[in-house]
Amino acid sequence: MTGTRRSPITGAFTVAGLVFLWAPLLLVFLFSFHSTGSLTFPFEGFSTRWYDEVFSSGVIRSAAENSLIVATSTALLTLLLGTLAAYGLTRSSSRLRGPLSLLFFLPITLPGLFVGVALLVAFTRVEFSLSLLTVTIAHLVYVFPFFFLVARAALERLDPALEETAADLGASRWTVFRRVTLPQVWPVLVGAACLAFALSFDEFVITFFVIGPDSTLPMYIWSSLRRTIDPSINAISSLLLAFTMLLFVVTFLLTVWSERRRRGRSLAEDPLVLTGPREGTA
Amino acid sequence: MTEPRVRLEGITHRFGSEPVLRDISLDIAPSELLTLLGPSGCGKTTLLRIIAGFERPSEGRVLIDGEDITSLPANKRPTNLVFQRPTLFPHLDVFANVAFGLQVARVGRGEQRERVAEALALVRLEGYERRRSHELSGGQMQRVALARALVNRPAVLLLDEPLSALDLKIRLEMEVELRRVHRETGATFVYVTHDQREAMALSDRLVVMDAGRVDQVGTPTEVYRCPASVFAAQFVGNANVLPVEVLESGNGDAVLRLGSHTRRIDYQDAATGPAWLVLRPEAVRVTGAFGANGTPDSLPGVVRDAAYRGTGFSYRIELSELDAHVKAETRGATGHEVDQPVSIDWDSDACWLLPRGEEETAPPAPTAGEDLRPADRDRGEEIEEPDRPKEETKG
Repeated sequence: MTGTRRSPITGAFTVAGLVFLWAPLLLVFLFSFHSTGSLTFPFEGFSTRWYDEVFSSGVIRSAAENSLIVATSTALLTLLLGTLAAYGLTRSSSRLRGPLSLLFFLPITLPGLFVGVALLVAFTRVEFSLSLLTVTIAHLVYVFPFFFLVARAALERLDPALEETAADLGASRWTVFRRVTLPQVWPVLVGAACLAFALSFDEFVITFFVIGPDSTLPMYIWSSLRRTIDPSINAISSLLLAFTMLLFVVTFLLTVWSERRRRGRSLAEDPLVLTGPREGTA
Repeated sequence: MTEPRVRLEGITHRFGSEPVLRDISLDIAPSELLTLLGPSGCGKTTLLRIIAGFERPSEGRVLIDGEDITSLPANKRPTNLVFQRPTLFPHLDVFANVAFGLQVARVGRGEQRERVAEALALVRLEGYERRRSHELSGGQMQRVALARALVNRPAVLLLDEPLSALDLKIRLEMEVELRRVHRETGATFVYVTHDQREAMALSDRLVVMDAGRVDQVGTPTEVYRCPASVFAAQFVGNANVLPVEVLESGNGDAVLRLGSHTRRIDYQDAATGPAWLVLRPEAVRVTGAFGANGTPDSLPGVVRDAAYRGTGFSYRIELSELDAHVKAETRGATGHEVDQPVSIDWDSDACWLLPRGEEETAPPAPTAGEDLRPADRDRGEEIEEPDRPKEETKG
């Protein structure tokens, strides 16, 4: 250990930073189990009454259902369209390939506010009435670049010689995709779709502009907070957090699994790493 | 002549405006093992990919069994390609890899099993059906790739440097295997390589390619003994290329002038004038001090480098009169010392003449391939690679 000596100030900053990041989350989580309606210390005992309240409320249930419908449709549509776009672009030899690809993922930089306003203007201009459908379309616009980036990276990592081999063995374009490309990348694609689901599920800013009369979970939380601070919000938020984290864990595990599968093989395929007994040919 | 299995007619190919193949016409006979040999960048792999259907030639036609297939995509052609790296599908086991082409062609399950077993037996991998590619060695993977191609009974099997990614030892074993598989199947093989030793060991005929053109087509013996160009002479085997002047010619004889020296050789119909003399190192005879037991025809020289190679010595000899060096390979256990004066001579029927421009005095520099692996360029007797650890030899 000959590195620079750690100063106590650095340590203090680290701790302060971590507290700043995590304390609010922990507080929400803690007070979701509070036995009274108070949102401040002292903590007066554990209870699951706020969770019971959340699960028995019809309004919350319908908001959660709406969120699930929107997030599921968004994830499935993104999976389909994003895979097609990424596959098409990575296998294209067109000169427009670079610029097109940029157009596909550049919206990642757009502020949610801008996307929301732009879509609202567009929808009203064409007299498209606001509903969960418009929310789904808006979410598609929002999550597509994230999915596209992940999918494109996964498809670009594939060995193009494998697809050529399959074509050489008589497989049509579609057969090559179905029997060679997809089996190798599906875990990453499904993982990216989980990410899209998570992003859509708790999206607020864009949803706010294009939602119409329905409500999603984030919309419900926001509107109930406007009236009064209801402790059941803590329970909903904790549930949302847990659900989203679960999705991220699934995404992460799928990606790692797929990567390990690929790495393990490519390592073994390296012809310079020839181990084990040679097959005899005398 | 029987109808060729593959006929290439005037194939020209450009990447952008850069021509990589220029007007190549070639007939490949059924059951032939033909090698496309040339340095990297000579267009041999592009030509193979044109036959496979991965590239569409800018000009020219590809015919298989008399049928024009120029515009057919790869998946509709009766060709199969074995790639440089073993491109096994990582998500499938050996059986599913080999059966891939049969499944795509909707061959019945029973027949699939039979033909896969047959193909695996051919490459001596019986019992490997359930292995995954990461459980195989490099040589085994390339055998599976070979079985996967052959199981479809292609009209032509295309091989794109299939051994170049393997260790030298396994490469040599695989050469033996490939020759056996070719004999047993009687299939037509088109083999691409930059390794002249491999090409000579495997081929029925060689196509020497240089800068997108066919330099020479012939059996390994023809190309080795009678190279069509200085390039072919230097690329296929080792060669000394010396500038000479043909003074007289006729009656199966020719008189050469090397520097101030004249020498009569056995040679049919040599054209008088400047020429290149191609002399294989093993045809050069080295004798002790000049004049001792050399013939009046022998040339004086000085040994500049000597290396013992088991079967004999290899020398680099400076020819004092000619401002040139000559490589020589001799047999026997006694050799000559460095800096020792010697005289060189050669079998008068072992040389070959090529036309030379008036102005040229030094042969063009040997191509990159020449220097890559000097050790195994000498007709396969010497098979050691300096930069790889030697594997334990067993059985």
